[in-house]
Amino acid sequence: MGTRKNDILQGTLVLLVLKTLASGRKMHGYAITSHIQRISENLLRVEEGSLYPALHRMEQDGWLRAEWGQTEKNRDARFYSLTAKGRKQLAQEQESWSRLTEGVARVLRGPLEVE
Amino acid sequence: MAWFGRLWNVLRPSRLQRDLNRELSFHVLERTEELEAGGMNPEEAARMAQLQLGNYPLQVERTRDMDIQQGLEATLRNLRHAVRALAKAPGFTATVVATLALGIGANSAVFSAIYAVLLRPLPFPNADRLVTLSQLNPKMREPFVAPARLADWNRLNTTFQAITGYYSEDESELSGELPERLTRALVARRFLEVWGVAPQLGRDFTPLEEHFGGPPAVIISDRFWRRRFNADPNVIGKTLRFGTSRSGPQLVPIVGVMPASFQFPLREVDLWSPSPDDAFFAHGRELTWYSGVGRLKTGVTLAQARSNLAAVQAELGREFPKTDAQLSVEIEPLKDATIGAVRGSLWILFGSVSLLLLIACTNVAALLLSRAAARQQEISVRFSLGASRSSVVGHLLAEVFILAVSGAAVGLLLAGAAAAVFRSLAKDLPRIQEIALDWRIVFYSLACALIATLVCGLLPAIRGTRNALADSARGTRTTVSGGNRTQFVLTGVQVALAVTLLSGAGLLIRSLQQLGRVSPGFETEHILTFQVSNAWGETADMKAVVRRVHRILDTLQALPGVEAAATTYDLPGVPSDYQVELKADQGRAETEPKVIAEGRTVSPSYFAALGIPLLAGETCREEAGIYTMMVNRAFANAYFAGSSPVGHHLSQPDNLYIPSSVVRGVVGDARETGLDREPVPTVYWCFSPGQPGTRYLARTHGDPRSMSETIRRAVHQIEPLRSVYDVAPLADQISDAYSENRLRTILLAFFASAAILLACVGLYGTISYAVNLRKREVGLRLALGAMRSQVVRHFLTQGLLVSALGCLAGIAMALAFTRVLAGMLYGVSANDPATLAGVAIVVLSVSFLASLLPAVRAARLEPIEVLRDE
Repeated sequence: MGTRKNDILQGTLVLLVLKTLASGRKMHGYAITSHIQRISENLLRVEEGSLYPALHRMEQDGWLRAEWGQTEKNRDARFYSLTAKGRKQLAQEQESWSRLTEGVARVLRGPLEVE
Repeated sequence: MAWFGRLWNVLRPSRLQRDLNRELSFHVLERTEELEAGGMNPEEAARMAQLQLGNYPLQVERTRDMDIQQGLEATLRNLRHAVRALAKAPGFTATVVATLALGIGANSAVFSAIYAVLLRPLPFPNADRLVTLSQLNPKMREPFVAPARLADWNRLNTTFQAITGYYSEDESELSGELPERLTRALVARRFLEVWGVAPQLGRDFTPLEEHFGGPPAVIISDRFWRRRFNADPNVIGKTLRFGTSRSGPQLVPIVGVMPASFQFPLREVDLWSPSPDDAFFAHGRELTWYSGVGRLKTGVTLAQARSNLAAVQAELGREFPKTDAQLSVEIEPLKDATIGAVRGSLWILFGSVSLLLLIACTNVAALLLSRAAARQQEISVRFSLGASRSSVVGHLLAEVFILAVSGAAVGLLLAGAAAAVFRSLAKDLPRIQEIALDWRIVFYSLACALIATLVCGLLPAIRGTRNALADSARGTRTTVSGGNRTQFVLTGVQVALAVTLLSGAGLLIRSLQQLGRVSPGFETEHILTFQVSNAWGETADMKAVVRRVHRILDTLQALPGVEAAATTYDLPGVPSDYQVELKADQGRAETEPKVIAEGRTVSPSYFAALGIPLLAGETCREEAGIYTMMVNRAFANAYFAGSSPVGHHLSQPDNLYIPSSVVRGVVGDARETGLDREPVPTVYWCFSPGQPGTRYLARTHGDPRSMSETIRRAVHQIEPLRSVYDVAPLADQISDAYSENRLRTILLAFFASAAILLACVGLYGTISYAVNLRKREVGLRLALGAMRSQVVRHFLTQGLLVSALGCLAGIAMALAFTRVLAGMLYGVSANDPATLAGVAIVVLSVSFLASLLPAVRAARLEPIEVLRDE
């Protein structure tokens, strides 16, 4: 595999999944990976090994709702959608994310101080 | 119920596994297709897709762990939340825990009794194979078996491993300063073999010891071993001293000690000694000595054993037509024979405590409904935050579960205390000392708690969340909840169940009252009863026995404070049966019905001592060469209607010991066979009985108890080698005979009062809740000029209506169910209108009080404050 791959930082996967589902569409796990990859223009790649545990954890926390359904190709797949609680969680995570990136950015921009 | 689903996952991971496999294989499939579309060959694509997903089984495992861990976490979280929420409402928590503790505690206590007495096997190996055997004579109730016949049964049958027999008597042990009364069982061969129990120390009897004239030997009970020998391990070989004045003391060595669990045939048995069946006096086939017990062979059914022994007895009947032709064999499981009539009582008590538990659950359900209604806003908020309905229900159920488990814990403490009360109240019940709390009872209580959780919790939780769901959708808060009606229904059910219980208790109490009012036909106060030890062996010389009895009676009569003294085999008023068939020597045609009567043997002084009046003829005396008897009025009326029985001769065709006797007089009817039974035709043979088991009666001037020491000393002076025991007033003896009756009544009354109390708490809670809900409306009405009395009347009517409907339903149920009490009632019918009316009045008046308090509180509302609050 020649493309450079950017593993997703631990913890941001949840945010990405929540954001992906925020459109209100019901999506299965595969669609979620492809969506994240496509929107990020292949900058981000979901490590498939951690996606499903994360999805299940989020479901248990009540952020996602899961149900079995059929794809266009008539295959059985598990479709996830956002609950009201998940929507609230998304808002929180988004905020803490921007605070984190802002903080990191300021540190990176700031002068080098020597004590 | 999310937590339940997760619990299911933990227990049965396969469903989850299948779902996960499906989900992941879908992913792999999609990825493979994408890679193929990108130009990869199918095999390579499949491999790559798999690789990208990572270690597949690990994946499955991690995801599943996530689920399970989540489930446990959620359950713990629910429980933690529940504890916190309950701590915030201590009054509610205390009420619910107390209610459940009462319900579960009472239930566990009665269950522990049922388990110990009815369900647990008797404490012998393979106890289900043990049976009692008795011989039945169509003419006479005489279950005891002759040694020769018992040996025949044992030899000829094919269904028993072994058959043996025993009888018991009281013995005086003479090592100490005063003779000590011991209870001795005399046992036939094979006794320990039948029980399958070996001595914990020492050995069984040797065949030599079981022969007549063989070396003496005795096996002692654990109880006696601890009491007398302080559990000395070197007790084997020590001797006990027995003997009567005639033959002088005899030293008997101890050869064995039985384990503590072996208490047969009596709980208080001290000794076992061999009863030699080859003694010259043991050969007669008409002897009635042994109670028979046998152990069935493995796999033999009761029916097989019965038909086998019936065949054996038929054969004996052909061989010995004179003595055996009329006899049949009755076989009964030993457990049934041991438990006897207690079974019915215990199941009735269990039924009542189950009703009580149901009332407690109903009460808690109503309380939870109010709580759920009060928390509707909180629940709505949870919903709007995205909680699923199942998680909210799980949360509410966690609360109930904690309440139920706490209730069960407190209930177990109650049950432990109750078991002690039980043992002391009912010390005469069979197996009562086996009642104990063990893990089965704890398990049972927990099961009760679990059922209580579901019964009490599910309805309010589902209802509560349904209302809240609707509310959160509407975004408003209801002021009058639909749960209100459910609560009234639940309250009505409680009242109905309580009325059913109270009706049962009322009937039993009325029976006991009636029994107390019965005029027994003889004196019960001022009579002291006791026994003087003697052995069956002494009855070989009946003349000496009679002389001894006379000497004791004379001594008693000479004591200041004693007005009369008598002997009898059976205490009057204590249930007993000894039905005999008699033949009148003349004056009755053969075609007339058989003369069946209760037969009792008494000293001539009996009638004077007990104050039974002489109606005709004269009181019998012991006359040389003639046997005399008395009959009661019922006997004279039934069999000699119109003519006097005095002077007639009556004989008992099969009894060799009592020849034809002449009737000397007629006495008044007395309830000899039990206070609760009408006097039956009775004959009294007049000769001073002196066999083991004879009761002495002394009519005292003052309190009979105060005479017991004097009497004991006086008897000791003339009979220094015999012990005096079982000293008690006749009234106590009779009352002890009805202790099961009383216990049943006390317990049922207690459960019924608890039920009424719970129902009242329920009614009070429901009306208070209704008042709370309608505070605003009441305030408005008052502001608009409604009278306070109208408000009171409104809520009071509501409460009374519910309890009146409950009463009606309860009385209908009582009419259907009190029939099970029919055999236990005395002097009232199972649907006695007075009792039912009394119950209704009691219940309606207490529910009046329970509704009055909240109704008055509603009327005291200050309209201005209520309206300002809103």
